[in-house]
Amino acid sequence: MISFSQVTKRYPGGHEALSGANFAIEKGELVFLVGHSGAGKSTLLKLIAAIERPTSGVVSVSGQNVGRLSHHAVPYLRRNIGLVFQDHKLLFDRNVIENVLLPLDIAGFDRREALKRARAVIDKVGLLKREKANPVSLSGGEQQRLCIARALVSRPALLLADEPTGNLDAGYAADIMTMFRDFHQVGTTLVIATHDDRAIAALGGRTLRLDHGKIEAAA
Amino acid sequence: MISWLRHQKHAFNAALRRLSAHPVATLLTALAMGVAISLPGGLYLGLGHLERLAGDLPAQPEISIFLDASASTAQKQRIAARLKQADIAGARYVPKDDALAALNAAHDLADITAGLTQNPLPDAWVVRPQTTSRMELVRIAADLGTLPGVAETHLDSQWADRLHAALDIGRTSVWLLTGLFAIALVAISGNAIRAQVLVRRDEILVSRLIGATDRHIRRPFLYVGALQGLLGGLAAGGVLAVAGVILRAPVERLAGLYGSAFHLQPPSAIEIVAVLGLTALLGWLGAWLSVTRALHQVETTR
Repeated sequence: MISFSQVTKRYPGGHEALSGANFAIEKGELVFLVGHSGAGKSTLLKLIAAIERPTSGVVSVSGQNVGRLSHHAVPYLRRNIGLVFQDHKLLFDRNVIENVLLPLDIAGFDRREALKRARAVIDKVGLLKREKANPVSLSGGEQQRLCIARALVSRPALLLADEPTGNLDAGYAADIMTMFRDFHQVGTTLVIATHDDRAIAALGGRTLRLDHGKIEAAA
Repeated sequence: MISWLRHQKHAFNAALRRLSAHPVATLLTALAMGVAISLPGGLYLGLGHLERLAGDLPAQPEISIFLDASASTAQKQRIAARLKQADIAGARYVPKDDALAALNAAHDLADITAGLTQNPLPDAWVVRPQTTSRMELVRIAADLGTLPGVAETHLDSQWADRLHAALDIGRTSVWLLTGLFAIALVAISGNAIRAQVLVRRDEILVSRLIGATDRHIRRPFLYVGALQGLLGGLAAGGVLAVAGVILRAPVERLAGLYGSAFHLQPPSAIEIVAVLGLTALLGWLGAWLSVTRALHQVETTR
């Protein structure tokens, strides 16, 4: 589903965030990206979602060369990818369900169908009672679950999560990892950047370790 | 197609929500636009009234031919024959007695004519030529002037020429002002939209990350621009309506003093629709310029 071949990403200013990365992730796999902060985990995820473009090498997602994708094709790639951010990136000018509806509106869903889907996914992350609440009033863990609901509502084949449990205490973190395991079991491909070792131990799956921009070992 | 309509409807509703979320800002922008549009709009209406006034006066230029007092009957017949030629649309003979009677009838002049012992007026023809072109008129007047028995010809179109020249300048000024204020309108709209884009920066960034095309992001802003322009057009209509109400009484009083039933008329439905369409279009254009530029900036400062 995802393959990196000799991928290097150098930022303006010369910092090399990723150096000659080579790996492949199969459809339906659960992969953890680990490594110290600044090791290149976020950059790797951004390259998959075409938020950044590689300096050299080829990033391919579902057979598409992401680095060569035209500006107009990028949105359609992203509609097949669910993104979960450490800082959630929720919109505070609208309530919970409207945040979840956003990807469906963008994709042009019928309103009734969209509401049905949004409710289902909000229920799945346990926020159904808060659907009219403003995200500001949610706890950190709830905000993260809302972010996950938004990432999943359009039923993407691929979910990318950047430190999804980074700011959460252990109880919330375990909840969220359990949720991810459920999605993995229904066939979603997951790539999760984390340094939560307990989560990795609990969920299993493959680990890609990054060190100063280099893929160290595939365990 | 259905999905396209759904997107439009969605964007339209979002635009309505955005405008009604900031009623004061919306109103102020509409008012700024309204004042800007009311200037060329008002001039246009004023000019329309002047043209209507000018239209009541004889639009067809006339040539007056004054005959020599000593002109012979043969000469008079030749002149009458000349006036039947193709370049003359019509001619009316005014004997000097009729002319004097007309002067007597004009009440202010009766005192003067009463003191006359003999009729000083010449026999005359009032001629309407076929052409209305200034050059041709001058040529015909000169040609008629060479006929024997003709004392003088007078081309009665100077004042009309001057009025039409003045109205032409007025019309050109309306277009000039319209152009200038169209630019102002685009700028006002663009500025208002720019502020909105900045406020909605987060929404734009997040929408992009979850697969929104630029077109999708731009669409509600374009509707906001068009609606704002439409509101501006309506505000201009309000400004002009108020001005009309204030001006009506003095204008009718002045017209009454001239014994005319002239009164102010509202613009036609077509004119109103055209102005509203134009302001909506200009608002849309300002939004498009602004949001396209802002989207580019949001992208590069990711």
